[in-house]
Amino acid sequence: MTPRDDPTLLLHAALDGELDAAGMMEIEARLAADPALAAEYARLRALRETIRARIPRAAAPDALRASVLSMARSGSPAPAAVPAPEGLRARMLSIVRSANQTLAAMVSRLGLAGSPYPALAATLMLGIALGGGVTGLLRPPPARDDMERAVIASYVRGRLSGQPVDVATSDRHTVKPWLAGKIAAPATVVDLAKDGFPLVGGRIDVIGMTPVATLIYQRREHQVALTEMPASGAAPSEMRRETRDGFSLLSWTHQGRRYMAVSDMPPSELDAFHDAFSRAAAAEREEAPKI
Amino acid sequence: MTSQSTQRRFAEVVLPHLDDAYGLARWLTGNRSDAEDVVQDACMRALGALDSGVIERPRAWVLSIVRNTAFTWLAKNRPNTVLLTDDAQFIEAVAAKEPGTPNPEEALIAAADQSALESAIEALPHVFREVIVMRDINGLSYREIAAAINAPVGTVMSRLSRARALLIDRLGSRT
Repeated sequence: MTPRDDPTLLLHAALDGELDAAGMMEIEARLAADPALAAEYARLRALRETIRARIPRAAAPDALRASVLSMARSGSPAPAAVPAPEGLRARMLSIVRSANQTLAAMVSRLGLAGSPYPALAATLMLGIALGGGVTGLLRPPPARDDMERAVIASYVRGRLSGQPVDVATSDRHTVKPWLAGKIAAPATVVDLAKDGFPLVGGRIDVIGMTPVATLIYQRREHQVALTEMPASGAAPSEMRRETRDGFSLLSWTHQGRRYMAVSDMPPSELDAFHDAFSRAAAAEREEAPKI
Repeated sequence: MTSQSTQRRFAEVVLPHLDDAYGLARWLTGNRSDAEDVVQDACMRALGALDSGVIERPRAWVLSIVRNTAFTWLAKNRPNTVLLTDDAQFIEAVAAKEPGTPNPEEALIAAADQSALESAIEALPHVFREVIVMRDINGLSYREIAAAINAPVGTVMSRLSRARALLIDRLGSRT
């Protein structure tokens, strides 16, 4: 039996947009001449429309996506996935958005702001940058000022959204592998609960075009966001304290890594955080096996 | 460690279809955690098969691995529920309309709510369910479905037609 002999199969093909123009003309003529066939077509269309309207297309859970990603990287099945409360998709969008904003700023600095479509220009530049890959042209290390702005913006966004972390856990042995699956350099994750800064979780931020690890520690009703990134070429520097837009900011470098802590706590408490963190990080390095 | 080029191919070929893969696995296994297991397993298989040649229809290719993995999983874990047979007579029997069943009104079908629709789809034998999911939920073309289930387009058409007839009967007879 071929579809041409069975008008029912033709109805389905018409419904599914699988018929060419000649086939559609044929079926339209048949529908016009045959009320029973037309009624069947109406039922099929009603079924299709109601499925489309009421059955949502599934979205893979973020935890599944994360474990598939790490599996693809390691080539072996991932351990049980860590639930990630915030949508990875949303995060990816925000990465692109923040990269776009950075680029928009660069565009305006380059004097292209007179262009009628700065956002479009930024998107194009982003496309070029992404297409150019990691070795692309647009990778000047972001100026310190931009970095400070970026970490504060991420901090504010995390507080406002009520979802400051991608992976919520007080167990540093959960956060660390989660981060390791997403960024190249290992981040320092320490347990500061006994110092009064319990770990809330971790997230990925994007500074300039570089994904970096950010850890969230709690202090009463306050939070500290600690961002760690490679300090490319930067000379070891003194600790810098700053207060900006009402937030305390503390940045320092240690062994080629730059750390930036942001909080809504007073600067003195942020100093206490820094001390606790440095102590715990040093202890962690002691423990780590020497290569 | 997976090589950079394989990782890139995985990101290009498999990841864009992870939602559809998970959706199909969930419809076939009937629950979320089993679906996640199936998708993980399928992704492992996909990773191993990525370098084996040109992949013309990535979505169909991915879903084909997912459905095969799901069927293997079902045969092992739900031996009594899975229908792997394509025995024509059996399919005829399953899809046969009760004589005298009146054709339901179009409006009755259109009024079906989500849970009625879901249970009707879940009640379909697997070989029908997968074509409905691929066509009406994931939006694959007949050719893509044919590639995914490794069957001729004619088979896709007849299964789709029977699957829809079953759904219409079921939705039309609900009270």
